[in-house]
Amino acid sequence: MDTAPEETRPLLHMQGISKRYGGVRALEDAELVVHAGRIHAILGENGAGKSTLIKVMSGVVAPDQGRIVLDGAEVTFDSPAAANKAGVVCIFQELSLIPELSVADNIMISDPPTRFGMIDRRAQRRIAVEALARAGASDIHPSALVKDLPLSRRQMVEIAKALARKPRILILDEATSALTAADVSKVFDVLKRLRSEGLALLYISHRMHEIAELADDCTVFRNGQKIATYKAGTKSDNEVIELMIGREYQNVFPPKPAPNAAAKPILECRGLTWTDRLTDINFTVRPGEVVGLGGLDGQGQRELLLALFGVLRGCTGQIVIDGEPVRLASPAQASSGKVGMALIPEDRKTEGLMLPMTVRENLAFAAMDKVSKHGIIDRQAEDRLLDEMVKLLAIKTAGLEIPVGALSGGNQQKVVIAKWLMRHPRIILLNDPTRGIDVGTKQEIYQLLRRLADQGAAIVFYSTDYDELIGCCDRVLVLYDGAIKRELVGDEITEHALIASALNIDVAEAAKMARANA
Amino acid sequence: MSDTVTGGDTVSRMPKFLRRADPAVATAFACIIALLIFGSLYSSSFLSPEYLLQQLKVASFLGVIATGMMLVILLGQIDLSVPWTVATGAMMASAAAAFGPMGVALAIPFGIFCGMMIGLVNGIGVAYLRIPSMIITLATNAVAQGLMVVYTGGFSPQDSASEAMRYLATGSLVPGVPNAVIVWALIGAGTVFLLTRTTFGRSIYAIGNRERAAYLSGVDTRRIVMITFAIAGGLSAFGGVLLAGYASKAAQSMGDAYLLPAIAAVVLGGTSILGGRGSYLGTVAGVILITLLQSILSVMQMPEAGRQIIYGVVIVVMLLLYGRAPASR
Repeated sequence: MDTAPEETRPLLHMQGISKRYGGVRALEDAELVVHAGRIHAILGENGAGKSTLIKVMSGVVAPDQGRIVLDGAEVTFDSPAAANKAGVVCIFQELSLIPELSVADNIMISDPPTRFGMIDRRAQRRIAVEALARAGASDIHPSALVKDLPLSRRQMVEIAKALARKPRILILDEATSALTAADVSKVFDVLKRLRSEGLALLYISHRMHEIAELADDCTVFRNGQKIATYKAGTKSDNEVIELMIGREYQNVFPPKPAPNAAAKPILECRGLTWTDRLTDINFTVRPGEVVGLGGLDGQGQRELLLALFGVLRGCTGQIVIDGEPVRLASPAQASSGKVGMALIPEDRKTEGLMLPMTVRENLAFAAMDKVSKHGIIDRQAEDRLLDEMVKLLAIKTAGLEIPVGALSGGNQQKVVIAKWLMRHPRIILLNDPTRGIDVGTKQEIYQLLRRLADQGAAIVFYSTDYDELIGCCDRVLVLYDGAIKRELVGDEITEHALIASALNIDVAEAAKMARANA
Repeated sequence: MSDTVTGGDTVSRMPKFLRRADPAVATAFACIIALLIFGSLYSSSFLSPEYLLQQLKVASFLGVIATGMMLVILLGQIDLSVPWTVATGAMMASAAAAFGPMGVALAIPFGIFCGMMIGLVNGIGVAYLRIPSMIITLATNAVAQGLMVVYTGGFSPQDSASEAMRYLATGSLVPGVPNAVIVWALIGAGTVFLLTRTTFGRSIYAIGNRERAAYLSGVDTRRIVMITFAIAGGLSAFGGVLLAGYASKAAQSMGDAYLLPAIAAVVLGGTSILGGRGSYLGTVAGVILITLLQSILSVMQMPEAGRQIIYGVVIVVMLLLYGRAPASR
């Protein structure tokens, strides 16, 4: 382990923290030491356990095991309010402000000053002015409505709101992701001043250059465990990426065939743009190809898949199928026989399945025209097709008449995939299809994707898991801020290249490093 | 993963025929039997075939209207335009009957058509304009009321129901069985077929469960919502046509007494007020239950105020009971 700063007694010490969600291990014996008057950055891939650690620290979830020592005394937080009281305050990713209320109301929302049981507006206003001044945002009027403020100002109100709770430890979870560069530097000035006032700041961000500018200490998490703590500036970007990747991955992926460059593209995207979330997306997919979408979470990958599937309104640019420009205004059009598109959505529980309905109803739902005549369902034809699908994907179910919600997560996901395969789609879009399912089912899905590609389907595959992108994809398009920043082909698809381009740092250096390692 | 929804264990231990029955539907039927026993203690004529057949006939008007309401509730929406859609159907059919032989022949279809138009406006508002159904149906109800008041001048309309309407509501093709009951049975059979055997019916359940998932599955959810509202409007108007035939003429605010009972019948029959879950058998039970309850309260010569109070309390209590039951379908 690298040396942790020892100059002061730690303000907060989290020891042996473990937390499981069902079968998924989010944190395993994790440790974190936080000192007053320092900015501590936490790094890790998606799903490394950072968010869970923050939630444990701020009382949102209770750990299964482990202790939290604050100022030398062990504490337990059974609610965010308890954590706030002890001086641990978190600014979460999503803005938590109520747009219709004033700035002062928002700042004091959980604990307004009262007088004779009524809210003391004058005191509330005074505290709000103080908090705003401390956050370096005294230009914001306390009685302005939050909905009238621009996004960057709202983030300042969010910080003021946290400061009004008199924190000793302030946690910022991706607090700058909504801000422009100019606003970020203002926020940084505030954070540096707070540090000099003796606060401990925990800073979580995917932006490496922000961490380099701001942090005093860094801790890297991976697979729910602390990997290393080091002083900022003592490691290069590439060393940090090494720490974040860690473990070798096993050979669970099917072999990739040689690319068939002669095939004509089946799907072509020309200059696709949607609000400020997608900017000028251009790419093609040939039959038999598995094309991955990479990058950090929330850089426009989901929007791209939804735009292709006709869900988003107001897209500009062209979608070309088989050389013919088409207009796809709804999933019904995108999945029609002529286009033959299918989307395995992100959240099977709200977008893929009707959980209380039966396996039969769910499986047949996307292909009802195949099992019915003039709108009347042909039970025999349906039984035949569904049995085939259940066998093909080895869906473990106690029959077609049980609610699909009773199946395990992996089998539910198989139902989502099977319901689309019943249509024999030519273009298959997958939005993080293996999230939250077991390793065995994941492997089956990888094999299935390759088999479908070999049969001539074109596959566009977004995953938050870099291993999957490397193992499954012939090409990977890395998105950053709604635009394709880089295309990785064949052997170029490595974790170094993926993470480096995802973080938008120097790709050439990362590639060199990768070659040196190989 | 901890994402199972159903209490599968308790269900699988029950015998097969019970396993298929929704507990809410079984409760509703049990309440019907309890009401009959209670009524027979009060008056021995309560269990006579004539009385029961009379109740079934009265129930069939509510049954037709509640069928439309059930379809809309299965979508997770509500139709508050029932009162004046019923009145519009009755008045327009009676009005058409005054226009010579052609009008007499088209009276019933015209009444239903007018109801479907109101339903279509509801459907377009909910599906395409994304107006909450509670608002748009309340608004169309007010508009329909206004149009009917303009048409009648605010008095009870002078037109009377056509022969066919009277025959449908009060005659009996099969001796002993009122035609209204046969009409309800036919509509009910059609609805059961629609809900269980057609892609349209499956889509209704799917939209009620998760509109987003249904939309992303390539189903034209907006079209289905619109058509369902139109069907519901048509059924409400048909209920009005039958009522006009029963009373020989249409009347102002004749539909007012059918909004809450229609919703109550559907929900007492185990259809989830949030949509996506429920069977037509349950609605049948709910309709009979409501009708019997109303009848018993009037036989007991309970004053109107007391009837309204008991009626409301019973509905709230039964909804609370169902609210505690685990979700199943």
